[in-house]
Formats: sequence, structure tokens, C-alpha cells
Amino acid sequence: MSKLFIPLATLLLTLSHSHAEIRQTSVWWLPRNVNMFGHEIDFIFYVILWITGITAVAVFSVMIYFIVKYRARPGVPAIHSHGNNTLEVIWTTIPVFIFLALAIYGNEQWTRMRLRTPPADALPVAVVGEQFGWNVRYPGPDGKLAKMTAAKVSKENPFGIDPQDPDGHDDFTTYGELVFPVGRPVRLYLSSKDVIHAFYVPEFRLYQDMVPGRVYDFVWFKAEATGYFQLACNQLCGQGHYKMFGKLSVVPEPEYEAWAKGKAPAATASSESSSTPVAVAGR
Amino acid sequence: MSTIAASHPAEAHGHGHEEATGWKKYLWSLDHKIIGLQYLFTSLGFLLLGGALALLLRWQLAYPSTQVMPNGDVGNPISLPFINPQFYNALFTMHATVMVFLVVMPLLIGAFGNYLIPLKIGAGDMAFPLINELSYWFFVVSGAVMLAGFFVAGGAAAGGWTSYAPLSSVAAYNGTKMGQTLWAAGIFINGLASIMGAFNYITTIVNMRAPGLGFFRLPLTVWALFITAFLLLLAVPVLSAAGAMLILDLNFGTSFFNPAKGGQPLLWQHLFWFFGHPEVYIMILPAMGMASDVLCIFSRKPVFGYKAMVFAMIAIGFLGFIVWGHHMFVSGMNLVLSAAFGVSTMVIAVPSAIKTFNWLGTLWGGSIRFTTAMLNALAFVAMFVIGGFSGIFMASTPVNIFVHHTYFIVAHFHYVLFGGSIFAIFASIYTWYPKMFGRMLDETLGKIHFALTFVFFNLCFFPMHNVGLGGMMRRIADPTAYEHLRSLQPINQFITMSAIGLGFSQLIFFWNFFRSMKHGKPAGKNPWQATTLEWTVDSPPGHGNFAVTPTVYHGAYEYSLPGHSRDFVMQNEPPTADAGSRRPVHAG
Repeated sequence: MSKLFIPLATLLLTLSHSHAEIRQTSVWWLPRNVNMFGHEIDFIFYVILWITGITAVAVFSVMIYFIVKYRARPGVPAIHSHGNNTLEVIWTTIPVFIFLALAIYGNEQWTRMRLRTPPADALPVAVVGEQFGWNVRYPGPDGKLAKMTAAKVSKENPFGIDPQDPDGHDDFTTYGELVFPVGRPVRLYLSSKDVIHAFYVPEFRLYQDMVPGRVYDFVWFKAEATGYFQLACNQLCGQGHYKMFGKLSVVPEPEYEAWAKGKAPAATASSESSSTPVAVAGR
Repeated sequence: MSTIAASHPAEAHGHGHEEATGWKKYLWSLDHKIIGLQYLFTSLGFLLLGGALALLLRWQLAYPSTQVMPNGDVGNPISLPFINPQFYNALFTMHATVMVFLVVMPLLIGAFGNYLIPLKIGAGDMAFPLINELSYWFFVVSGAVMLAGFFVAGGAAAGGWTSYAPLSSVAAYNGTKMGQTLWAAGIFINGLASIMGAFNYITTIVNMRAPGLGFFRLPLTVWALFITAFLLLLAVPVLSAAGAMLILDLNFGTSFFNPAKGGQPLLWQHLFWFFGHPEVYIMILPAMGMASDVLCIFSRKPVFGYKAMVFAMIAIGFLGFIVWGHHMFVSGMNLVLSAAFGVSTMVIAVPSAIKTFNWLGTLWGGSIRFTTAMLNALAFVAMFVIGGFSGIFMASTPVNIFVHHTYFIVAHFHYVLFGGSIFAIFASIYTWYPKMFGRMLDETLGKIHFALTFVFFNLCFFPMHNVGLGGMMRRIADPTAYEHLRSLQPINQFITMSAIGLGFSQLIFFWNFFRSMKHGKPAGKNPWQATTLEWTVDSPPGHGNFAVTPTVYHGAYEYSLPGHSRDFVMQNEPPTADAGSRRPVHAG
């Protein structure tokens, strides 16, 4: 089944390569999740949804019941009561425990996602935002990216690398095009050339601001399914913000290898020269 | 408990000015009531403006002018061609700026704070009437300066109301150097107005309470405004400083926020949200206070758990200063710090929960009168619950990674700010309009206005949760630019239609508001049979408010006290021996 599926999916992917997944059903709800960390995010989302949903139904039921039962009627006076301290203690304590539990469990997952060192075999990919597009840098056959230094990021050197860095000679770059192998961890190195941008892919349950002057190396993920998605800038970055998107595909590993090979620079080509803007600000 | 603050506040403080007459009365009056009305009229005007900006935004989102049609035309046939992406960015920036700084804050604090504080504490005026009037005019100037941005080269500020640097601080990035400068200057001037108001309120409430009016006999409206004034005093100067730094960065070559020259973009975010989060409570605490009073008046009950309500507000005030980082979970600040802010953010939900339960407790056993004011107050509670619950999703750091900066947050803060604050403002206007103008608002028109507003509000803002979960970013001029958002477009159009319905429903309110000034039924002193001091004087109260400084003998919520001929006891009603012996002990 899966052996048949891969070439089929590849075919479909090539045919529809310029079309992100358009949801025909459940437009009212979350898009499908393809990131390994997305399961926990969705799980906590549903836990909170159940807790708040049940509480909301309870609160609104009580409210409607009181509104109907205690509507003004002639001859029925209101009860003179200033409150009840036992009730105050109860309805203070219960929320404290619920909210603390949510905070503790949430932080555990947060730590798992953001504070744990990415696996050593993760594919490093650098993404540097600019008004209004994405500079992307992939490692070549050595699997290593040139070291990025935020202070060196400039118009001519969007990735802030040392041109002499041996790790960088086989790196290749794209503009606004990301391809990830399915099932392999990917570690992102995020930065920006000018203003704050944000790396946002709803199907990855992933949002991260990219603040100029810094390189963020803690974001990593593992795509669990193939597909074509859109990378969106989700931090207001100027007049072209609304269409600062990138193409993002998750493909089987062999297909990724083939794609990377095709992109690899000729030995002498400067890696920066491929930065040709494809997404230009709209007027 | 009942400390005697000042023996004769009306004579002792702040009442050394003559009544202004004629046109002077409305231009340069030192009377807190006139200043309150000046704030009320001005910010209702800004409400119309901010609403119009919102409708333009919504139209662009439903029918984007940038959309490429199948026949190659740019723009939808029914789009508004003058909304280009830059103007769209200016529209949402100014919509939020107007609504926050020129509508909700001045309505709650400027209008009701000014009008109600002296009347509710039995004072003749504010402690510093001149500063009070200055505060109003600074507010007017701040609005004019902000809006002037629409008429300068480059247009109005377009960096969002949060104006994140370095987009906001480097002219080459934003293209709106002048507009952004005017925005920051407007924020600075607006801050001065807030600071002047805040220390005036604090001084007035501390020093000028009527004899017998101890802190724990204050109506919750006054408590809420008192706490809010402290928040203003501590938070607003930080924003003013940030605004000044932004002006320097834009115009005078400094680089506080520009990393290309050694500045630090996150510094802006920390400064902004150190103000910005207390600001959230600045815009909801007075609404909570006034809604509590309205709920008591119309369910004929003492507020349930008065002290719990007060301490919950104080807790919100304190915690409000240590949660600002939850706006920055995904900004790339220290990740451990995010975890810490996640905990404090969950904790601040507790006092809000306490308040909600106490509002339900107040309804329990009541004799509820469904006036327009009460309906709006009930809507406030219900909408605040929904807005509070959606906040929990974002307080959870992992879920925030998914929903941050999507329409989910747009839904959330509109449920709190419109569903919460604006419904409470409507409740308050319906309650205190008779005191302000001596005439009642029309109840039938009021109920039609309420029903339409309530329905359209929910139809407009609830689906925003869904488009947000569907992955729609906020602040994008054209959702159809994204393939994965095109399937959500019918929902966006539905939201826009509901927003138009919501906008036009407000015209009923304005019609009622202005018509009733002449044609409303005369109100009398105490049309709602309420207990607090403002209801002991004429409607509208004369200059100086109280002919004789009242003495207070009761708490603010003595409704339905057994053994009385009426179901309410005015705060200044001397206790009879009979009633005194039957006075129930406070529960617990």
C-alpha cells in the first residue's frame, strides 16, 4: 500500500505543486496536523476545550436558570444575602488547581518542544526573512550549514556567514522555497534582515517570531506526512506583508535528495547570488 | 471600618470654583460632571469613527481590492479600490488605536470616572478640577494628533497598534515616518491625560469621601476606578517613555530599537507590554465595577461576596503587572521566562473566575428586572466568560505556538473589549443617563438596540475563532492571497455582513441617546431605586452636587433588607433603632 502510495503521492504533488491543500471539508476547524509536536498541541487544545466547554455550559445553564427563576414577580422579595465564605473558598480553590495543572502540563510540553536539544541527525535549515520574502539556506552533502552570526547579517550577506567557513561551501540557497524530507527531524535557524517576521505554518502547529539581530536555533520539528503547504509571515512587516508567503513541501527522503542535488551550486558559484526575489510587494 | 475621611469635603476640597455658564460651560468648565459629559460625547464620536474604520477593514477582508479575479482584473467587482495594502494596515492600526485610547479608556475612566466618583463618594468635585479639565483637553489634542496621520505624506501609522520595532522605528521599513511619529506623539499626549486623571482620582477617593464612607462601604464602581487609577499611574508612563524613544529613533537618529545600529527590538515589546497588559485590565476593571453595581440594582440584591470582589480586583491589579510576557511567548525571548509568564497568566485567571461566580451569586435569589441596562450587564457577564475562556487557550504556552497572531486572538480580545467593556458601557449609559440628563432613555428602542447588538456581535466575532483555528493570520490585507485560506472566504464574508449589521444597529442607540435628551420621560432623583449617594440628588445634579455633605451609615448594597418598607436603604439614610437591631450579620 505505502509502496504504491509514494509514487502516486509524488505524481500528485508534481501535478499540483502550486496548490496548497485547499480544505473542502471542515473549514470551521483545525487543519490537519503533520508535525510530531502538533499532537501534544492539539491534545492540550482539546483538553482546554473540554474544560472550558463544560464550564461554559454549566455557567450559562446556571445563569439562565437564575434569570428565569428569579425574575421579578409581585410579592416575591429578593433574598438579602451578602455572600457565603465557604462558597468563595470552593470557587477559588478549584480554579487554582485547574489553572495550575494546565500551566504545569503545558510547560512540560513547552519544554519538550522548545528547550530540548534537537536530535543530532536533524537537517539544519536556515531561514532569514526580509521585506517581503524568505531567504533559505540548505546544507550540501556534508550536512552542515555555515555558521550564522546575527551581527554579520546584511543586505549582501543575508545569512550572516563567514565566506571562508568550510561548512558553507557546499550550501545552497533558495528564495521562498522550502522542501523537507518526511520523517526526519529538521532544525531551523531563524533570523531576519530588516524587521520582525514570523515563521508560521498552521499544519505544523508552528509559529516563531524572527527578530532581526538574533538567530533562533531552538525550533525543530519532524513532519510525519507529505504534502504541499504555505509558509506564511505572521508578524506585520510592512505593506507587502499580506503576501509574504513561501512554498513548503514535505516529500519522501529520496525525492528530497534529488531536489537538493538539483539545487546544489556549481563549485565556484557564490551562494548569495541565487537570492532573486520572487514575491514582490504588492502596490 | 468606617473611617471618617474628611468632615466637610464639599467645602474643604476642590470646590473653590464658580459655575461656568453659557458656551464657556462646555469649553472650559471645571465641574467634574461637565468634564465627564465632555468625555462622553467626544468618545462616543470617536466610537462612530472607530466603527467606520472597522467596517472598511471588514469590507476589504471579504472583498479584497487586491484579489486577482479569473478574468485577470485586479480587485473584486464590489471591492473598495482605495483600500490598498498600506492603507489597510493604517486602517487596522488606527481602528485599534482609536478604540483603545479614544473610546474605551475615555468612556470608562474619563466619562464615568469623572461623572460618578465625586457623586458616589459624596464630594462636591474632584480634588484638582483644573487638572481634570486639562486632562480632557490633552485627550482631545491626543486624538487630533493621532488622526492627523491620515492627512500627512505616507499616511497614518501602519505598524499595528502595538507598533513593533524596528518596523515602526525605521522610516525606511515602514514608509510612514510622519504618521508613525504623530501616532507616538498622540500616545504620549494621551498618556499625560491619563496620568493627570489617575492621580486626581486617587487623591479624590482617598481624601474626599463623605463622613462614614469607609473604603469597605464604597460602591464597586469606585473601587474599580480606584484600582484602575493605580494601574494607569504605574503603566502609562512606561508607554509614554517608549513613545518618546520611538519619536527619537524615527526622527533624531537614535537607535533604541534598531538592531542594525546596536538597538534591541525586544526592548520595545517589553516596554509596550509592560504597559499593554495592565492596559487590558485598565479597560475591563471599571467595566467590572459598574456592571456589578448594575447587576445589584436590577436584581435588588447586595453584591455577592463584596470583599471577595474587592480583593479579586486588587489581585488582578497586582498580577496584571507580571503577566506581560504572555504576549511574547513566541517572540524569541528567553524560553524559561515564557514558562514563568505562562504560570502567572494562568493564575490571573483565578480572580476573574471568582468575579464571575460572585456575579452569578448576585443573581441568585434576586428579583430581577429586565431593564435594558440589566440586559446589557448580563450580556457583559456572558461575553466576558467566553472571552476569558478563549484566553486560557493562549495562556497555555504550547497552544499559543499554534494560535498566536491568528484570528483566534482577534476573536478573544473583541469578546473581552466589545463583549465585556462595551456591553458594560451600554449598561452604564442606560443606568446613569437619567442622572446625567434628567430624562430616561427609551426602553423599547433600548431593547431593540440590545437584541440586535447582542446577536450581530456574536455572529460577527464568534466565527473569528474558527477562521483563526483554520490558520488565518491577523493583519493581512487579503486572505485570498493564501491558497490555504481561500476556502475560509465565505466565513469571512459572513463575518463582514454581521459586522455591518452590528455597526448599523448602533445608530438606534445614537438616535435614542440624542432624542431622549429632549423627549425622554423625566427621571426624578432616583428612578432605579438605587442606594448610592448620586441618587440622593437632583437629576442632573446641581453645581457642587450636594447642598449638605451627606453622612453615610450603610454599605452600598443594602437591597431587600428585611424589616424595611422599601426594598432598598439609601447609604445616607440614618439607621432607625428598629432597623438597626434587625440588621443581618454579614455572612461567614
